[in-house]
Amino acid sequence: MPAYQPQRLAALTVVALLLMWTDSRYDWGQPLRYGIGYVLAPAQQTALVPQLVGRWFGASAITREQLQIENQQLQARNLVLELRSQRLAALESENTELRELLSASEQVDDRVLVASVVAVDPDPFSQQILVNKGGEDGVFIGQPVLDAYGLLGQVIDVMPFTARVLMIADPNHAIPVQVNRNGVRAIAVGTGSLTELELIYVPATADIVPGDLLVSSGLGERYPRGYPVATVTAVENIPGQSFAKVLAEPSAQLDRSRHLLLVFRKGAGRVPPETLWRRD
Amino acid sequence: MPIRAVILTLLIIFAGFVLEHLPMPELLSWLQPLWLLLLLSILVLHAPQHFGLWLAIPLGLMLDVENHQLLGLNVLTLGTHIVLLQLLYRRLIMFHFLQLTAVMMLLVVVHQVLQFWAVALVSENRTPVAIWEPALVSGLVWPWLYALMHLGMKRLHLA
Repeated sequence: MPAYQPQRLAALTVVALLLMWTDSRYDWGQPLRYGIGYVLAPAQQTALVPQLVGRWFGASAITREQLQIENQQLQARNLVLELRSQRLAALESENTELRELLSASEQVDDRVLVASVVAVDPDPFSQQILVNKGGEDGVFIGQPVLDAYGLLGQVIDVMPFTARVLMIADPNHAIPVQVNRNGVRAIAVGTGSLTELELIYVPATADIVPGDLLVSSGLGERYPRGYPVATVTAVENIPGQSFAKVLAEPSAQLDRSRHLLLVFRKGAGRVPPETLWRRD
Repeated sequence: MPIRAVILTLLIIFAGFVLEHLPMPELLSWLQPLWLLLLLSILVLHAPQHFGLWLAIPLGLMLDVENHQLLGLNVLTLGTHIVLLQLLYRRLIMFHFLQLTAVMMLLVVVHQVLQFWAVALVSENRTPVAIWEPALVSGLVWPWLYALMHLGMKRLHLA
């Protein structure tokens, strides 16, 4: 062993612990992380090659008949969605008018950036994914992420070409929600399971029943208001306890969604116009 | 250090990060070996005069960013791992590969426990850390990886 190695290790330990302590309390390390992200990018892109090749082979192996069936299904779905969007456009316009009447300052025209899931964090104790858009695309920490069915999570780390998303099912995640039916507010926390959220501090007398849709309340100003978060699956009143145990199933397909939407709100970050489209 | 050795070292480190980032099916995520730790061990065991404590700083910081952990966490654990390897070096090169596998499993356990303690010490985060699964899988992968790397280095006259 080289000379003075224990002393060197002791010095390294002190420096590392100081660095960790600083990083856990302040965000001074973010530029360093971003810079290291550039160094890691080639390895990250190389690691995705087998997945891309697999997808390419999978797509090439689809038969003409399968494509025709899929096309028919998509056309039918498109028709339904167009019908709904016509109603939504009318409702949105009416909503905007009402808000203007009330002089509400709330931003309703969220814009989104489409991203794809490129990797799932292998750590079994966390529910995080990596998406193929990063700081170079204007992604920022705290940005809300949705899939086609509801809120999926938020960006917690941004590298130049990728971003890490903490899903709502992670045990370290909590989101303010309200019941769509009657506006009762609650906080939905992750349980670590991709199919279950738990509502905490819900009074035993609260009007929440299985089947209720929970939408984001917008409190905390992290998530936009009104996006579906979960559907209540079970409500249990435990005798002697002042809070009820309420479980819900996330609306977003946390384990299946491949394409996601990163939501931009006015003034929340840099928006590259060529890659964005407006939600109509 | 010959230029071939430098290129090979950079390739090994690159391969380590590619393997760390390799997407795994959700069911197999428990079975992810600590690739970079294993490859780092091979470097330290093959050329302890070149690969010392300094290597823990760049690799540790890169691994922190890769795994979205606190900056400095892997600097600490990789540094300890390197010093332990240097401490045991004379015995390790004499060991049978089964003994070496057992030692490597133990070192992975130490690495994981250190990670948990260090995070608990500086932050209020008590996220659990998998200990036995990575140790077992890394131990099982170790003899094959070691043999492969040793063979490659011999072919390139770097062993």
